[in-house]
Amino acid sequence: MEKSIERIWKEGFIKNDALVAPKLNNLYNQKSIDIVEKFKRMYKLNRIGIVAFAIIIIPLSYITGMIYMGIPMALLFIAVTFVAQKFSNQLDTIDKNKSSYEYLSSFDKWVKDMIAVNSKLSTFMYPYIFMAMVLGFWFIEIEGKILGNMLINGIITEFPTTYLVNGFPIFLLIPFFLVIGILAFFGGRIGKWDINIVYGGILNKLKILLSDMEELRK
Amino acid sequence: MSSDFYTTQILPYAAIIIKICRAYTDTQEDFEDYYQEVCLQIWRSKDNFKEQSAWSTWIYRLSLNVCLTFLKKKKNNKQNAPSDLLPDEVLVDSRAFSDESLNQLYDAIRKLSEIDRGVILLYLEEKSYQEIADIIGTNTNNIGVRITRIKERLKKILSN
Repeated sequence: MEKSIERIWKEGFIKNDALVAPKLNNLYNQKSIDIVEKFKRMYKLNRIGIVAFAIIIIPLSYITGMIYMGIPMALLFIAVTFVAQKFSNQLDTIDKNKSSYEYLSSFDKWVKDMIAVNSKLSTFMYPYIFMAMVLGFWFIEIEGKILGNMLINGIITEFPTTYLVNGFPIFLLIPFFLVIGILAFFGGRIGKWDINIVYGGILNKLKILLSDMEELRK
Repeated sequence: MSSDFYTTQILPYAAIIIKICRAYTDTQEDFEDYYQEVCLQIWRSKDNFKEQSAWSTWIYRLSLNVCLTFLKKKKNNKQNAPSDLLPDEVLVDSRAFSDESLNQLYDAIRKLSEIDRGVILLYLEEKSYQEIADIIGTNTNNIGVRITRIKERLKKILSN
């Protein structure tokens, strides 16, 4: 008579070989390598994206008549790529033959260094981007006239008593420097926020994995 | 994960995890990965265990969830990567139990959908309909009908 599936199940597991638990090993090793490799892939994609943007922005800004914005932006993105490439080279030197914990700790240290440098750069980067944008808009030509000059002339005509600093109305200079100041002040935080948007998920996983391993070492 | 926790809280229930992980994997390598991941998740989630169910029931639930997640990830990876591997239905389990009937039953179970695999495993482990419904997250009536259908399907596969 044919055995029922319930009987096959019960009798099959009476034999000991069916239920041998595998040893818990190598799990963290694999996870550590996976997490770093994933980060490397994302970091590389990010760099490619920045370079592509640096290349595209020059013709794009030329077409839109904002070349004074395009060139400084392209230079900035090239500089950012250069710094990121230097960090990437450092990342490749982390020794995979270390223990999982040491490997991940080295990676964690690299991430912290990268974030610290990125935050410092952001203090300058965001005001720089703002200035480049202002420059870009300022020199846009409308019917043969420069937009910035039209703006100054308009203000002077409207408010003839306005105070000028080196030919620029104080009306424009105060908000300009205020925005620069705010961006410089919050630049570091914006930079961290930016990194968190892109790499937040993977960095959280790294944190959990490291804390698991630290508990294991206790 | 401390070895104490593994020895006292997981190892006595290893049979449950093994049975479930074998039903969701085709190779020993995958099986070991799934098993380790389940153990890790049990350890990580241990503080979330509220004693509203038995520890073993909780382990069933967690094991199934981990296996389903892993399987989904694996499928996504397969879809994203060009593969010259054989399709699923041609893959043969590289492992074998000494009991041939059990091997055939496992092969048949692996041909079921992910959820049906979970349902039949719990049924074979003599869980009540209520417990199965709780673990899977459906109602009891549905479970009874489903089990009958799955058993018929398994019989058909086995007789082929």
